[in-house]
Amino acid sequence: MDGVITFFSSQQVMKAEKIFKKNNLKVTIIPGPREISPNCGVALCFNYSELEQVNKIIKENNIIYEAIHYYPQIKTISKWL
Amino acid sequence: MVNRLKNEKIVYFDNSATSWPKPKQVLDSMKFFIEKVGGSPGRSGHRMSINASRLIEEARESVCKLFNFSETSNVIFTKNATEALNICIFSLLKDGGNVITSSMEHNSVMRPIRYLEKQGVSVSIAKCSSDGILDPEEVFKQVKVNTKLIVLTHASNVTGTIFPIEEIALGAKERNIPLVIDCAQTAGVVPLNLNLDEYENCVVVFTGHKSLFGPTGTGGMCVGSKIRLSPLIYGGTGSKSDEDIQPDFLPDSLESGTLNVTGIIGLKAGIDFILKIGLDSIREHEKRLVELFIENIRNLKEIKVYGSLDTNNKIGIVSFNIENEMPSKIGLLLDSKYGIMCRVGLHCNPNAHKTIGTFPNGTIRFSFSYFNSMGQVKYAIKSVKELIKLLK
Repeated sequence: MDGVITFFSSQQVMKAEKIFKKNNLKVTIIPGPREISPNCGVALCFNYSELEQVNKIIKENNIIYEAIHYYPQIKTISKWL
Repeated sequence: MVNRLKNEKIVYFDNSATSWPKPKQVLDSMKFFIEKVGGSPGRSGHRMSINASRLIEEARESVCKLFNFSETSNVIFTKNATEALNICIFSLLKDGGNVITSSMEHNSVMRPIRYLEKQGVSVSIAKCSSDGILDPEEVFKQVKVNTKLIVLTHASNVTGTIFPIEEIALGAKERNIPLVIDCAQTAGVVPLNLNLDEYENCVVVFTGHKSLFGPTGTGGMCVGSKIRLSPLIYGGTGSKSDEDIQPDFLPDSLESGTLNVTGIIGLKAGIDFILKIGLDSIREHEKRLVELFIENIRNLKEIKVYGSLDTNNKIGIVSFNIENEMPSKIGLLLDSKYGIMCRVGLHCNPNAHKTIGTFPNGTIRFSFSYFNSMGQVKYAIKSVKELIKLLK
């Protein structure tokens, strides 16, 4: 996993997680990396190669999010996720 | 009371105040949460906090299912219906104007309104008949250029009469006036036959601890997408933590501080129980209890029953009095001699009692739930008849 979607609140994260999972996209909730997620304590990480799918699901479901980042630093801890 | 609960027969007819008993799943879910889940939702990034956040989101989903609503972010949890009503009334009248309400409203609606009246808000009361029935025309003939809010109960906590809220909602929608519906007595029993997604100027307020079978300390509202509410309480929300000003998006803006997580989980279990059984079954059951009770006491010359007797238009509440007897005395005798618990007096609703003509002494109110039985009602009928004889 090397992509991170940040949000404004954790309620938005919980809601988005359900929608992504329903659409068979692999996501995991992680503590929001401070430098890209100052607003909210949690974020969703995903495989950046699936960015197009992510954007499609976001648009189709009116998901409210803050930003999408390429964040390969996650790979160093992703084996524990 | 302690002896009462151990061996003697007790009959609980005060479900309009709070429901009892609760489904087993409600306690089990709360116990499970405290023992195994824990966590503060929306705060930390560890698994316990995330699990708690997920459970709260699932509770919002259950509320959505109950009210035919699709936006979980617009489900707000409060500590009771009173808090939700206050948020709505203070927000929607913050710039002054006129508010329309009925002559049967609970103090959780009337007291904020009367306070705001002193601050210059104009208050119009749509009068109900002495049976506690509301004609929608009485509401709409009061509409003024500066009407900012209509707030109405779905059913009376004194007479049990159901208001024609769907018709009123349509009228409010057509006139673009916000409508707040107090479903404290109806949530979980009487479905709101509205697609809330299409009524964007409506707010549906509910309490968790009555017919939704949740614990006390829970409640909330479904906020229509066109309604803008301001918080009464500002504080930490676990979001926008880099800023020290209140976020302006839902649900965070209206949920400062830690939620009653354990309570909300219990509430979810209560709602899921109701959805499994079906509101229609619950309504039918309560209707049978009310019919049995009214049929057997209405013709006693010493008894007066208040409100419309049409059980198609009534929830599981019966208010009555025994001739020449103070309700408070009857309440005490019913409890001490017969183990029947009910609420007597004014039921936090002086206006309803003024409307039906029972002010200031009030009435004896029996309020049934899905967990009451025909046997208990038969026992109550027998007890009331015996009491009437004893008091002669």
